[in-house]
Amino acid sequence: MDVRFDQAGTSFDGRTAVHPLSLSLTERRIGIIGLNGSGKTTFARMINGLVQPSQGRVTVNGFDTGADGEAVRGQVGFIFQNPQNQIILPILREDIELGLRGRKLTRGQMQDRVNGVLARFSIGHLADRRVHELSGGELQLAALASVLVTEPPIVILDEPTNQLDLRNRTLVERTLRALDEDVLVISHDLPLIEDYDRVLLFHEGRIVADGRPEEVVAEYRKIAVS
Amino acid sequence: MRSLYVEGDSRLHRLSPRIKLILLIVVSLALFLTRSPIMLGGAAFAGALLYGSLGMGWREGWLRLRPILLTIAVVALATLMLNTVEEGVVVLLRLTTLMLVAAAVTATTPVGSFIGEISSAARPFERIGLVRADDIGLAVGLVIRFVPEVVSRYEILRQAHRARGLKLRPMTVIVPLTIQTLKSADEIAAAIDARGIRGHKPPSRS
Repeated sequence: MDVRFDQAGTSFDGRTAVHPLSLSLTERRIGIIGLNGSGKTTFARMINGLVQPSQGRVTVNGFDTGADGEAVRGQVGFIFQNPQNQIILPILREDIELGLRGRKLTRGQMQDRVNGVLARFSIGHLADRRVHELSGGELQLAALASVLVTEPPIVILDEPTNQLDLRNRTLVERTLRALDEDVLVISHDLPLIEDYDRVLLFHEGRIVADGRPEEVVAEYRKIAVS
Repeated sequence: MRSLYVEGDSRLHRLSPRIKLILLIVVSLALFLTRSPIMLGGAAFAGALLYGSLGMGWREGWLRLRPILLTIAVVALATLMLNTVEEGVVVLLRLTTLMLVAAAVTATTPVGSFIGEISSAARPFERIGLVRADDIGLAVGLVIRFVPEVVSRYEILRQAHRARGLKLRPMTVIVPLTIQTLKSADEIAAAIDARGIRGHKPPSRS
């Protein structure tokens, strides 16, 4: 991935959610950690243009999140904290297809893409199931499939193992490890990011540590108990 | 999220969504061409038979219609009080038939098919620059998607009131229900944006 923040920051209602920062993200697997309300999710949303910088500029693979919003969203898939909100239609197959509408694909091409992504995550048997019947882990995989069917090269996941039991957590963790796409994960689940290439620690809207997982996690522990 | 669609293999399930929507429009218009309580009564009976033939249990069928029936009853009662008894009966039968036929179409057509059909129907208007056809389809699909969601949120609020021993009051239901629904609509809008579902213009690299 090639994500660049150029003095980019954002504020809402007079509160600075992310202070202006400059950095570039080029690693394949990046973790973002920090306390609740530290600015992690806002930072991630700035990457796919869901939140616009109130100052500075963010680019993703050469596309400006302000000027080329649609192109940026084609580059970055975003999995929300609650996958229920990610999935728009009640039947899984329909929902995955929805992401492909308007892309000038034939019916057959759409079917192939949907079947391909379902097979990739081994959830073909869930294709015609109602989304509210799925377990937490299945729902997370369904959300992943609905986003990756459009083949974005980068995927951001906001707390993907939140509220999952051990079995579902393991399932999601294994799936994430096998992803070919570049991954940026926001997580409170520290073991999930322990072998990532780079970890950013957010605190009060600023990046206060940036480096190898073990160093950054140690820093996080200090903040958490202070 | 829950779905209004009921899986099944009835004739109505197998009928093309386009034909179902056209039939629904024709029936809706036809219901306003007559004021005969006998004919409208017959239509309501036929609507009930159609709805009953979809294979869902009586209880589920009743629960789905209950909120709309309540609204229809209020409208019919108001008409009866402000006009004549006959007028009230006509309104009751007309709206009940409309509800039964529309509920039958919704229960036998997946939301995705609705979106596809409505988008196709709006395509000519897109060509003359009036609308974005996919947006119209998506909007209709989202309305259908939100109906059961609002009902299930109401159910959760009702249970929360019971659990805390509180009486159900309009203000303590309508306010949180509206806030929750708007919040959820906001999240769905963010998901639509994040997934790039609306429009795909060719990108220009900076």
